[in-house]
Amino acid sequence: MQPSAIKYEPYTPSVNGSSPTMTALGGVDEIRVPVESDQDIVAARQKGRALAARLGFSSSDATMVATAISELARNIVLYASRGEICFRLESHGADPILVIRACDEGGGIADVPQALKDGYSTSGRLGVGLPGVRRLMDEFEISSVVGRGTVVVVKKWKQ
Amino acid sequence: MEAVTGPTPALQEQFTKALETHLTQGGEAALLSAYELGRAVLNERLGVLDVATLLQAALVAACQRRPRESVRIVQAAAGFVLECLCPFEMAHRAVREANTALHGLNELLEEQTRRISHELHDEAGQLLASVYLALDDVARDLPAPAAARLQSVKTLLDDIEVELRRLSHELRPTVLDDLGLMPALDLLAQSVSARTGLWVKIEGPRDDRFPPPIETVLYRIVQEALNNVGKHAQASAVTVVVRREARRVCCSVRDDGVGFDPGTARSTAKGIGLIGIRERLAPLGGALSIDAAPGRGTELRVAIPAV
Repeated sequence: MQPSAIKYEPYTPSVNGSSPTMTALGGVDEIRVPVESDQDIVAARQKGRALAARLGFSSSDATMVATAISELARNIVLYASRGEICFRLESHGADPILVIRACDEGGGIADVPQALKDGYSTSGRLGVGLPGVRRLMDEFEISSVVGRGTVVVVKKWKQ
Repeated sequence: MEAVTGPTPALQEQFTKALETHLTQGGEAALLSAYELGRAVLNERLGVLDVATLLQAALVAACQRRPRESVRIVQAAAGFVLECLCPFEMAHRAVREANTALHGLNELLEEQTRRISHELHDEAGQLLASVYLALDDVARDLPAPAAARLQSVKTLLDDIEVELRRLSHELRPTVLDDLGLMPALDLLAQSVSARTGLWVKIEGPRDDRFPPPIETVLYRIVQEALNNVGKHAQASAVTVVVRREARRVCCSVRDDGVGFDPGTARSTAKGIGLIGIRERLAPLGGALSIDAAPGRGTELRVAIPAV
């Protein structure tokens, strides 16, 4: 088999424009990505990674953002069938903050503190799932109503 | 415990293929599959070194296919590598967090123990003193034979006082706070010798103080180790050595008892003390090793990083 050519993508795209915070979302307040399949998980990660890169996040921070999106979107697909991941920007002084909100109208979580403990999810081991997301992000909030759905909001500050 | 084996050839094949897709097609889907691979490796209880091995072999395979593009391949693999490792970053943070919590819990326990020890010593001691005074008062008003019987009550109270002091001291010897680890170990050795008949020898830098968390942990470990020796070792002599090295404090407890098979001790009651010792060491980054064999005594060694 003839090896195919390497498609080289620079990992962190360069930033054009003077204020990344202003231009990162392309003039809109919020970007919403519907999530109900594995393809949508890819789309949400892609959007999150592109935003992180445009805000000047390091490649390891951008990877953590993508990981958080993976875990949040995976929960939506596994437990709620459908939902959405939304991106918004905030700032603290000159520092941009990427805000990711994952929401669904699934069955909700009966015991939220339990869901934040390690080893709760049957699909994960030590440290992955919601507790893993909490540790990768700078801020983490969850609210869930049984029968109504779950909203998780996480924030990553630019280091 | 599940058996832990190394990465399988099938897993290696998956890594090599996924990296190839990332290199030739790029895109988020390839990065997601890198992440999922890392997560699967974590789920299978393989370690971060296994991921490194899998990644390295996948990179070598990719470079061998296009030797002239090696540098570009390694550059383009950066995102893939980060994705594979991110699940381990999560697990690492979980362990770090648990360690911090354990550290806090140990300090809380020690603080409560200190408080109880203090109350036993001071409050209960005060009460006893007033009982003595009351007894003397009563004795003055009684005829001589009855007063003599009160004397035997006072003897019992003396025993209680000694016992209270001993309990208070075992909980948290004030000498540990006031004079440091070595004098505290000397007193511990005296009390163990008196109680068990073991010959206990303490060696170490008499005029040296260590950071308080290290002194507390070492004291507790020696206490636990001497308890173990007393209960299980059938030993006649124990030597405790404390030594300061360049970047750590080391301590060993060696006995001349019957020894044991460390392989089987895990599942038995003997293992429980060792688990406690490990839990005390973990928050300080300390390490425990045991040198034991049936019939040849036991040596327990701990090392705790210190500047």
